[in-house]
Amino acid sequence: MAGMQSATAHSTPVFRLEGLQKRYGEGEAAVLALRGVDLAVTEGELVVLLGPSGSGKSTLLNILGGLDRPTAGHAWFRDLDLAIASEAQITQYRRHNVGFVFQFYNLIASLTAQENVELVTEVTDDPMPARDALALVGLSERTTHFPAQLSGGEQQRVAIARAIAKRPTVLLCDEPTGALDVATGVRVLEAIVTANEELHTTTLLITHNADIAQMGDRVVRFFDGSIRSVEVNTQRVRPSELRW
Amino acid sequence: MIQRLAILDRKLLRDLSRMKMQAAAVAAVLACGISLFVMATGMYGSLARARDDYYDSGRMADMAAGVVRAPQEIARDLAAVPGVRTLEARVSGVGLLDLAGRNEPVSARLVSLPPDRAPRVNDIVLREGKLPDPAHSGEVLVNEAFAEANHLVVGTTMGALIYGKRRDVVIVGIASSPEFVFAVAPGALLPEPERFGVVWMGREALGRAFDLDGAFNDVVLRLEPGANARAVGNEIDRLLVRYGGRGAYGRDRMLSAQFLSDELNSLKTMAAILPPFFLLVAAFLLNVSLSRLVATERANIGLLKSFGYGDSSIAWHYAKFALVFALIGALLGMAFGLWVGNYVAAIYAHIYRIPGLHFAAGPGVYLAALFVAFVASVVGAANAVLRATRLPPAAALSPPAPTSYGRLGRATENAAARLDGKSRMVARRIVRFPRRSLTTVAGVAMSMALLVTAQHFPLSMDWIIRVTFGMSQRMDVMVTFPEAVDDAILKDLGRLPGVLQVEPLRSSDMFLEAGSHRQRNSVIGVPPDAMLNRVLDENLHPVVPRPDGLTLSENLARKLGVHAGDMVRMQATDGHRASAVLPVVAIVKPFLSAPAYIELDALNRLLREPARVTAAYLLIDQRQREAFSQRAKELPRIVSVSFLDNASASMRKLLSEGSGFFANLFVVFSSLMAAGVAFSAARVTLSEQERDLATLRVLGFTRREASYVLLAELGALLLLALPIGVVMGMTLSRWLMSQFETDLFTFPYVTNAAIYGKSALFVIAAVTVATLVVRRAVDRLDLVGVLKSRD
Repeated sequence: MAGMQSATAHSTPVFRLEGLQKRYGEGEAAVLALRGVDLAVTEGELVVLLGPSGSGKSTLLNILGGLDRPTAGHAWFRDLDLAIASEAQITQYRRHNVGFVFQFYNLIASLTAQENVELVTEVTDDPMPARDALALVGLSERTTHFPAQLSGGEQQRVAIARAIAKRPTVLLCDEPTGALDVATGVRVLEAIVTANEELHTTTLLITHNADIAQMGDRVVRFFDGSIRSVEVNTQRVRPSELRW
Repeated sequence: MIQRLAILDRKLLRDLSRMKMQAAAVAAVLACGISLFVMATGMYGSLARARDDYYDSGRMADMAAGVVRAPQEIARDLAAVPGVRTLEARVSGVGLLDLAGRNEPVSARLVSLPPDRAPRVNDIVLREGKLPDPAHSGEVLVNEAFAEANHLVVGTTMGALIYGKRRDVVIVGIASSPEFVFAVAPGALLPEPERFGVVWMGREALGRAFDLDGAFNDVVLRLEPGANARAVGNEIDRLLVRYGGRGAYGRDRMLSAQFLSDELNSLKTMAAILPPFFLLVAAFLLNVSLSRLVATERANIGLLKSFGYGDSSIAWHYAKFALVFALIGALLGMAFGLWVGNYVAAIYAHIYRIPGLHFAAGPGVYLAALFVAFVASVVGAANAVLRATRLPPAAALSPPAPTSYGRLGRATENAAARLDGKSRMVARRIVRFPRRSLTTVAGVAMSMALLVTAQHFPLSMDWIIRVTFGMSQRMDVMVTFPEAVDDAILKDLGRLPGVLQVEPLRSSDMFLEAGSHRQRNSVIGVPPDAMLNRVLDENLHPVVPRPDGLTLSENLARKLGVHAGDMVRMQATDGHRASAVLPVVAIVKPFLSAPAYIELDALNRLLREPARVTAAYLLIDQRQREAFSQRAKELPRIVSVSFLDNASASMRKLLSEGSGFFANLFVVFSSLMAAGVAFSAARVTLSEQERDLATLRVLGFTRREASYVLLAELGALLLLALPIGVVMGMTLSRWLMSQFETDLFTFPYVTNAAIYGKSALFVIAAVTVATLVVRRAVDRLDLVGVLKSRD
């Protein structure tokens, strides 16, 4: 399949995790969300994180996105150790390198689709035009609509357009299809894959759904705060071919 | 049921502890209103009660009449007039006092005491010492304020100059009287206890001094309950006319009583007008807080309903929030009101010498305050509580639909297109929630208006003093005579050391009639070339009183119901009781008292007493002030010598004592109001936009950039509120000034840019502080928690 690349094609690591731990709470009430995770993610890779609730995948994604800090270990984004970076460095990191997509779309209700995207392009270097980002997710016709005037799938695609418009180094998606029906979910996943392929954005995608895992270069399975297995897909499956 | 309510009450307590700051904002503003209410209502009651008690126990006169000289026997006839309850015929006059160590003349109202009994009318309260012994003619009492101001104690000897004759008197007691709660020198408007006192002397001694052996010149009387005052007055006048009666008058022409009643009216006005502003804003804040609470508790409300809680228990649950806020505000307000009340009572007690004057608000005042606080809270809470009960459980359990925004108007959108994304968010929110934006603007504008108003009063008073003592009255000294005297005295005055210029004046009490209106008022005769005492119009241009008509003060014209061109009939209250009908030729607006003016010679002609004067204004060489003072005391016809700089200083002191305190109090209250409104608005914005703010942070916006959304909204509303506040402030100032206007005082509306600048600074500071307190929450946003929750 044209454009579908394997993990080995690019070997520069974007993320390098060493002994990453995250503990919530203190003493007896302490919960170990990550129990020492080692992982490297290379540029342009699409990694699917699978696992039951509470297995630590969201915690990992939050740390990689600069929303949370590890309790021990290192999380390198290129030369920046997210574990010890300053608050300002983390903010700049989020601003220029990270695109987020959440289960709930978190669009600004008072801004139109295009303005939601422009919110990001206004403050980053070398963004793509907001209309192009919306075109990439198939929303060229809905640019002037407010979130309340869009369907759930459309809102999520605006969120993806907003995430990729800055041409982020990494795209972090936490259950992006969790609140959507199958057909809509597929369109959303198509948008993510498009960004990954056309912009070579390193993409990490969390899902509960093992079927979706087939679209990644690698599948990392979490259990109880640790990586249980890492599988390499020799063939990525297009979202349109997925069934669940 | 008890179990259930107890659980809900536990929830209530926990929720309240989360809402501490909102509760504080609402309670603070409410407390301002309640404390004003408690203070003004309580002070009104305390002052009215103290006055009435004092008038009662001291047998305050209902009516008085002056006469040139009436034989003592007439007193019996006067007392027999139907409607007269008790009557005292006495000797009263004005003289100068010579106090050791004080060169400038001090004047005193001298009043006779009956030899063998307490006065039947206008009794005295002996504060210290003893009553004068009729056998010792030199024994006197002095009034308390005068004794204090001049450090006079029992045993002090002073010189009394009556009709130019000096005699030594010794103070044997210090007293007060309901007649002189407020002791004002002739020709003056405000008390100057350093320079004017009341001296009570034995009847015989004073009678001799005034050459009134076996006669009296002053009648004070109390009326039977329900007596016809007008009829009594007419009968008294009829009996006294042949002895030179000066006309009977009621308490409304007794300066001390008039001041007290004006003060009571001001308090009543204050109690009625000012608290509602704060109560209204408090109700609005409560509405904002509770509406937001109900919105965030949507799911809880649905849940409670699905568990079978009825609408009434849910309504009661949320109503309790309002009641707790109200209770906190009311208690704080009552406590602070009590404190302010005590403070103000101390000021009053210093100005008005009324025994037993202290702040005592009865349970009625506090109950009313509680009631008012609860009404304000119920009004504020009603619509939020109703909304909670109206939520259908199923809808309440599902998340609310996203707020739907639309495009603004084309013009606004074009303007918005030039803004960056964050500013557009702010603009659309302001327009999307117009009612809330407007109420925030109104709340901030109202506090601005109150600040502006609070500063207008001191400015107005300052203006009164500057115009009165700088532009209108330009003399250095005012000298008054006991009655209308021959104007040859002007020459004598001109020969006193240091006197540069002498200007005469005649003041005469007259009845003025127009249509069915009748007023007893002073008519002032002014020379046409008056330079030292000028009548000014509103633009401060001198108005020359004409001989062919009356120049009326606006206040008096209103009471007579006349305009320029209308005719007024005037009749003298004494002497020949001459009368004339004259047109109103001009209307002026003096700030102090409400006189009528006419050209001096025309007045003298009208009264058929040519070349008479009752006072003179002098310009003196200040270097010779001491010599002047020394010699002025020796002129027999002078009963008071008042230096303008002293009068202006005491007026400034008296006005600043009360109004300064209130102006400061209002600065604090209004700033609190602005802060409360801003805090509330910022809290709601934060609460509603928490998710947007977190999104901005996740998208890589710095804390400062994310905070902008919060601050810009408040900033924009503040910018909108300030000019509205300016206009509201102007209007409110003018209106309040008209409400506080009395016969003695008119507040001129004067303004300057500094007032608005200062008010704006206070409002901006209050809004900034409140907003920054809320802004800190942006730093603490739980990005993960907020974004991963549904809402």
